[in-house]
Amino acid sequence: MTPDYDLLFLGALLFSAGLSIVIIKRNMIFVLMGIELLLNSSVLNLVAFNRIHNDVPDGQIFGLFVIVIAVCEAAVGLAIVIQVYRYYQSSVPDQINELKE
Amino acid sequence: MTISAQILSADTLISGVLPALLLPLISAIVCLIVSEKYGWVVAFISPLFLLVSAAFAVYTCYHQLGSDPLIFNLTWFSVAGREFDINLLLNNISTLMMSVVSVVSFLVHVYSIGYMADDAAQRRYFSMLGLFTFAMLGIVVSGNFLLLFMFWELVGFSSYMLIGHWYEKPEAADAAKRAFLFNRLGDAGFVVGLMAIWSGYGTFNFADIDIANGGGWQIVAGIGVLCGVLGKSAQFPLFGWLPKAMEGPTPVSALIHAATMVAAGVYLLDRVFWIFAPPVLITIAIIGASTALIGACAAIGQHDMKRILAYSTMSQLGLMVMAVGMEAPFASMLHLITHAFFKAGLFLAAGCIIHTLHQAQHHSRDSFDVQDIRNLGGLRKRLPFTFVAFLVCGSALAGLPFFAGFLSKEAILEAALHWASHGQSWRWLLAGSAFVVSFLTPIYTFRMIWKIFMDEEVLTQNLEIAEAPPVMRFPLLILSIASLWFAVSFNPFDFNGWVFRNISDFIPPAAGASHHPFPWLSFASIFWIALALALAYFSRNASIRSRLLYEAFYFDKVIHLSVELPINFLGNMTRRLDRKWIDGTLHTAAYTYTILAHVVGWFDRFAIDGLVDGVAWSARMVGYSVRRFQREGVQLYIFWALFAIIIFIIWTLL
Repeated sequence: MTPDYDLLFLGALLFSAGLSIVIIKRNMIFVLMGIELLLNSSVLNLVAFNRIHNDVPDGQIFGLFVIVIAVCEAAVGLAIVIQVYRYYQSSVPDQINELKE
Repeated sequence: MTISAQILSADTLISGVLPALLLPLISAIVCLIVSEKYGWVVAFISPLFLLVSAAFAVYTCYHQLGSDPLIFNLTWFSVAGREFDINLLLNNISTLMMSVVSVVSFLVHVYSIGYMADDAAQRRYFSMLGLFTFAMLGIVVSGNFLLLFMFWELVGFSSYMLIGHWYEKPEAADAAKRAFLFNRLGDAGFVVGLMAIWSGYGTFNFADIDIANGGGWQIVAGIGVLCGVLGKSAQFPLFGWLPKAMEGPTPVSALIHAATMVAAGVYLLDRVFWIFAPPVLITIAIIGASTALIGACAAIGQHDMKRILAYSTMSQLGLMVMAVGMEAPFASMLHLITHAFFKAGLFLAAGCIIHTLHQAQHHSRDSFDVQDIRNLGGLRKRLPFTFVAFLVCGSALAGLPFFAGFLSKEAILEAALHWASHGQSWRWLLAGSAFVVSFLTPIYTFRMIWKIFMDEEVLTQNLEIAEAPPVMRFPLLILSIASLWFAVSFNPFDFNGWVFRNISDFIPPAAGASHHPFPWLSFASIFWIALALALAYFSRNASIRSRLLYEAFYFDKVIHLSVELPINFLGNMTRRLDRKWIDGTLHTAAYTYTILAHVVGWFDRFAIDGLVDGVAWSARMVGYSVRRFQREGVQLYIFWALFAIIIFIIWTLL
């Protein structure tokens, strides 16, 4: 098995871990961190696939873009979380259910 | 025999008969609807109405007496092609009777103003008096059996109301009930008679009944009509109610005995005399004679003055009924008319005594039975007017010469002799009983007069007795005058005067021979009465303590045992049957239905409602479970989305 496939496995592992965190964790900060993990695992996948099909470095550049966007997204997400925390005095997603009522 | 008659013109009807007939009814209605505040008005309005009614009746009588019968015909309704009519038949009998009834009723109304002055229920009293008169006038003028029967029942009802006027007294309520029930007993037979008439002749109209067509129905019809008469006219064996009816106000007794109630039966016999078959006539004669004897004997044994008068009425009615049975309806009619006046006079005079003594007792707080003649005596000086009136009317009852009663009684005696001399010898027995009755009548009459008015005062010395007010004396005056001989005939020894000649309008020529077959009769009867008077005088102080006579030969008890007890027993049996079996069946059915209803209710609640509820419940459950996906939060959302994607992926890959 080549090291490239190890990368893919690592990406899948990271994705799974991120997804688990997103689903399981009761704190919104952790959920955001889980989402970061998901993004990073997908970037890892892009880079890994670029190494397998390495004629042009599209994948790596795409990965850079994703990192930049992830940063922006993390900033926006954190801002929302802080706002939500201010409003509800809580960062547990289950308790934020005003829309349902 | 059919009656040949002219059609009654609307003119005569409106100008005479209808006002006379309807004014008492209007009086009754007015008395009923007048408010309590104006209750005193009744005592003036009601006699006024009756005065006008009497005037119309006398006017009609004056115009009509001696001319052909008049008939008024109006189809009432028709069933299956048969027509039922409203018929008025005016012949001499009915016009004369109409004026007698309305005049006596008017006088009783006037008298009642004084007698009932303190009564609280004056409106009811005068109303029923008016209804009573109306009903009797209806009987008098109606020309068919159906209409007559309706008025007949109306008379029964209003007499019930009047006898029971003081219904707070248990005796009065009982007497009213008794009178009503005895009448019902007779009327049951009357209804059978009506059916027989319908079956035999196919019509109820007096004028259309052709007795030749009747066949066997004629006897049934005769017996049936006779049954009705027995109840209404208090004949043997249904006379028990009449003495008891004395519980009513005295003017009512006067009305019942003179003109309205008991006269109706005899009047009916006279009016439809020709429908009776010979065997029925003999029955009528026997019943009349026995009633006359029982009544006369019982009257001798009484102490209560009203009861003496009641039994004497019974006895006189018996004479009238017997005369009908002896094929002399016109003699009977004549006696009915004279009797109406003098008996009303006697009752009103007795009422004066009772009234004034009651008032005197009220002042002196004394109490003894003022109707008991043993407690009275010597009242001639204290009540001279009443004494004279009582004496005049009593003499008429006793049949003294120069009084109306003498003439009419002689008519009956002559009819009895005539009848007895034209048949088997047993007929003399009945004729003889008529003589016995006319011998007993003066005895009890003058015994009563002696005890009340002559002799020494017994319990009344300390009472302040005053004559009755003029309003009560006026009717007495009129009735006393009408008890004299010229009310019937201007010759005081010949009953065939202006009244008798006019009422005997369709008499068969053989029986109508008005020459005197018995010229000695007048002298014989004067002698006979003188004998009776002598006996009455010599036995004036003998006190009669016969329980047998007092109880009128215990016929009341016999009726009680033979009719009332079995009927009571039957009633109790049927009541028990009703309660146990019929009610039991009903109860079982009711229980079954209740249980069934519970089962159905349970089924409804659990099966049908359950089905509906189940649908609703499952819908809610689905909604609940689906809603959970959204409720549990965003993470579960993601989980389920992931779950779906995984399944989707697995599905695509496989």
